[in-house]
Amino acid sequence: MATISSKPVYLSLLLALLCQLLPWSGISLILRPEFLLLTILYWTLRAPHLCNIGTAWFAGILMDLISGGLFGQFALAYTLTSYIAVTYQRRLALFDIWQQAGYVFLLLLLAQLTTLIMKVFAGGELFGWQYFLPSITGILLWLFMMLSPFTIVSHSSRN
Amino acid sequence: MPRAIEHQHHTGFFVRGPSPAARLLLFSLLSLVLLATDAKLNYLTEVRQGFLALAHPLQLIANAPRNLIQNVGAYFHTQTSVVHENSVLRSQALKHAAELQRYKTLEVENERLRKLLGAAQLSSQPARLAEILHMGRDPFTHKVVVNLGSRQNIVAGQAVIDEVAIIGQVTRVYPFSSEVTLITDKGLSVPVLVERNGLRAIAFGRGHDAMIELPSLPTNVDIRVGDKLITSGIDGIYPTGLAVAEVTHVDTNTDTPFAHIIAKPLAGIENHKQLLLVSIPKVDRPADSNTLQNPDPQQNVASPRNKKAVTPKRHGNN
Repeated sequence: MATISSKPVYLSLLLALLCQLLPWSGISLILRPEFLLLTILYWTLRAPHLCNIGTAWFAGILMDLISGGLFGQFALAYTLTSYIAVTYQRRLALFDIWQQAGYVFLLLLLAQLTTLIMKVFAGGELFGWQYFLPSITGILLWLFMMLSPFTIVSHSSRN
Repeated sequence: MPRAIEHQHHTGFFVRGPSPAARLLLFSLLSLVLLATDAKLNYLTEVRQGFLALAHPLQLIANAPRNLIQNVGAYFHTQTSVVHENSVLRSQALKHAAELQRYKTLEVENERLRKLLGAAQLSSQPARLAEILHMGRDPFTHKVVVNLGSRQNIVAGQAVIDEVAIIGQVTRVYPFSSEVTLITDKGLSVPVLVERNGLRAIAFGRGHDAMIELPSLPTNVDIRVGDKLITSGIDGIYPTGLAVAEVTHVDTNTDTPFAHIIAKPLAGIENHKQLLLVSIPKVDRPADSNTLQNPDPQQNVASPRNKKAVTPKRHGNN
């Protein structure tokens, strides 16, 4: 397997940012997965020398800027999440798809929980369980990308 | 079962820069500093404005697919010229509808105002037609982003209405867009007036559902289901007499000191793309000196100082 160059990493991150910027509304806004965090997690687990905690922090800052919420909440959530992802990254390479998906799901929940705590501390309201829907759609998207035959992952694992 | 992710073995075994824990510490600290700075001091407004100006092309690209679909759809649906004419007419109709709505409520209001204040002067309000760019990034904060910003002389604090009622208020202004907080947001309150009897109150957004509530009113308050709430205008932000909401639920349980009143906003934020940004022209209204010149006992009731005051005198009239 060839070393991953940095180009696809940053291109995919830019694409994820664009997905995040799409004009979502209504139900789709509540269901919208966190594209940027998913991409960050993917590259953190796959190529930690290219996409590490710093990248995650920067992506978090971008999310803070475009979401217009309290500055730094996404940055902190992404930092924590990618730290845990990096710490267990070598172990994770031994998992199969479903175990990895479960692990990523926990990471997505952690990120959401962190931002939730930030929001509550900043005087926000408590949300219903719908708040965690993006994690569920996120993990479905992750599984879809992993299982679909068109992604880089499946190609490289087949070779 | 294929392994999902094979990690890279090419990166040296030992040297990977600073340890993850060190990076975690550094970046968490940075985030926390930013959080504290943003929460306590307001230094980051310019940073945010600058970045959003930079990100404006990205936003345009992200909006392009939707616009393309809409444009293609419009082309196949009707002739381009008709579409253009239609949009022009619609924006005119929206402006007229908003003015009409103001006049209707003005008539009801005029008599009372004349009695209380002598003469109520309402100058024409400059209004700008804006279009919703997106419904905000966070579905749980009731905010929308519109396509006018500080380049178009929009300032924070302007009221936002549609052809039916009040939608909210401009809370943040960026160079090319601005953020509108809806009246259903927990952080926004609107001074209102019950149209039927002129009772004044302050409506707060409830946050979790698309409703607003009137807290701190006594249980014997004269509000019924179906009452229409309009803006009272005593805050100097919202123009007077715009529709806000309709009371849907009144619970005057005598066990609690306050009535539990819930109203449903009349504006349909999900239904259309255009809305109006209006601002009250800066006029000095010396309310206190007015009170001194006019030693009418009812004048005190109408003075903007007792904002939350429920005017008890009017209870007798109804």
